[in-house]
Amino acid sequence: MDVPAATRGIGREACERFVIDEARLLDDRRLRDWLALFTDDGAYWVPAEPNQPTPHGRVSLFYDDRELMGNRIERLEHPLIHVQTPPSRTVHLVGSITLEPMRTEPWLPAADLLVQSSVMMAECRLDAQRLFAARQWHWLRVVDGRLRIVLKRVDLVDCDAAFEAIALPI
Amino acid sequence: MPDGSTDTRSLAALVQPGRVHRRVYTDPEIFELEMARLFGRSWLYVGHASQVPSPGDFITTELGRQPVILIRHQDGTIRVLLNRCTHRGVKLLAERSGNRPRLVCLYHGWTYDTDGALARVPIDEGCAPGFRTCDFNLATAARTGTYRGFVFASLAPEGGGLPTFDEWIAPMRRNIDDIVDRAPAGEIALDVGVHRYRFRGNWKMQVENVIDSYHVPFSHASTVNRKGVQFSRREGDAEGAKVVDGQRTAASWKRRRGHDVGHGHGWTSNTELDEGSRSSPAWNEYRQALDAAVGRERAEQILTPRMHNSMLYPNASFMGLNMHIRVIRPLAVDLTEVNVYPIRLVGAPEAINVRNTRLLNVTHAAASFVQSDDIEAFARQQAGLASRQGDWVDISRGLDADEPGDEPGTRCAPSTGELLVRAQFRAWLDLMREA
Ligand code: FES
Ligand SMILES: [Fe+2]
Repeated sequence: MDVPAATRGIGREACERFVIDEARLLDDRRLRDWLALFTDDGAYWVPAEPNQPTPHGRVSLFYDDRELMGNRIERLEHPLIHVQTPPSRTVHLVGSITLEPMRTEPWLPAADLLVQSSVMMAECRLDAQRLFAARQWHWLRVVDGRLRIVLKRVDLVDCDAAFEAIALPI
Repeated sequence: MPDGSTDTRSLAALVQPGRVHRRVYTDPEIFELEMARLFGRSWLYVGHASQVPSPGDFITTELGRQPVILIRHQDGTIRVLLNRCTHRGVKLLAERSGNRPRLVCLYHGWTYDTDGALARVPIDEGCAPGFRTCDFNLATAARTGTYRGFVFASLAPEGGGLPTFDEWIAPMRRNIDDIVDRAPAGEIALDVGVHRYRFRGNWKMQVENVIDSYHVPFSHASTVNRKGVQFSRREGDAEGAKVVDGQRTAASWKRRRGHDVGHGHGWTSNTELDEGSRSSPAWNEYRQALDAAVGRERAEQILTPRMHNSMLYPNASFMGLNMHIRVIRPLAVDLTEVNVYPIRLVGAPEAINVRNTRLLNVTHAAASFVQSDDIEAFARQQAGLASRQGDWVDISRGLDADEPGDEPGTRCAPSTGELLVRAQFRAWLDLMREA
């Protein structure tokens, strides 16, 4: 695999670490720190259709740019967010992490690295626990020597199912 | 005190002026009766022609408990077939959508044409004497009706005091036109996917909620900014509607009206938004396309939305603000699925449709900012109704304070009241009576 100049010194191990730390920020509910991992043109996408080619003009569970992510976090911090009263607790398990050849899309800003992994998130609220399982892709860009997310795409195995309310990013 | 019986008179005792008995939301027996009587007889929304554009295209859904197939026949007409093989009862199609030139049952291979006619029975020399394939065509919905591409069906034949399709749809025609006419090509399409959510509550909670303007400042408090304004929902708007003023519901919000137009149908008037300053490159391009298609005057009329949400009782709502069709599917007395289809305006600039679809991710997906709190409210209402503390649910706001609406025979009142919920229960009782 050709390694772009910007990514020199950033190997599989650093990517693995990054994806694991990213999930941990969500479990720790450090949502502002999580948001800061994204580039200014970054986005968070959870398709609502299997193998969905684009978020544009098709339904998605989440398709948040930085502004919408910010709105979502403000809402999660709002004292009157009923669907998180009481709040959920989550735990992510990230595995099968691999560096992939770059894939580009016309609507996708430039990235340096593409990392694929499998993720499971158990969410507990009140007495109920549910499980989300997905393959996820992180398109990463190196900004000032640090990894940032251009796009996090989470393909839930049951992405086209009828869900009860989902308040937290996966 | 209403007991557990379900004859017409006992049911009538559950619906009183300004209140309904909690059993209408919690009693599994009443739910079964609703499936048999209400969903078994009423006109119901099935789907839209754009979901089955070519011969053999189909979608599957349920009308109450009845699995059905909406399919385009080889001759181009649309049929509503019951999704059950006439041999030994196997459900013919399991996918939610697809295309089949013919419908072949997986079990013994009985093969039907796309109009439901039984075309082939394998090993036909084994058929019983006198067996005729024409006696084993797929059943169809007893009645179907279409309006502007929308397909409706009733599982009950005409008569028995049930409205004809024309009678049932008439009061809502204008509301449907208001949305469809926004497409420069004069037609809409439901072809950008579907949001599916479910909630642990009775189906009527969603039906009541779509025409409820009372809950918004409270249920959706977390979507309102410090100025009391909700996020912008329409292309070209700088900001959304004013919902709260200080600690109270905004005066403009309180001016929203609810219209009871019969058959349980109802609609709420729209949020006051700044029509004059609405502008963006995509919006302006769209305005030009619409002006060219229908003329400036009609375009103004179409685009100044009269209605926010229109409920076609009992299972569909049409929303004009962030344009979508919502289909309400009861699964159990305390479990409901809702399907939300964003509307694509055929002939509008792509950016307009992309924006509307994207907005619905934020407003009506399971992970949206808005709907997620409604889902929580429904589950909490269902949980609260399990309590024996009180048997009655209050729906008395604005009782006897309504006025004549803008069409003869219709009634109208502030939509922060419960006129439309009472109208729904009138229709409910009418459909729940014994045959
Ligand atoms: S059950 Fe369908 S062919 Fe026998
Ligand atoms: Fe709501």
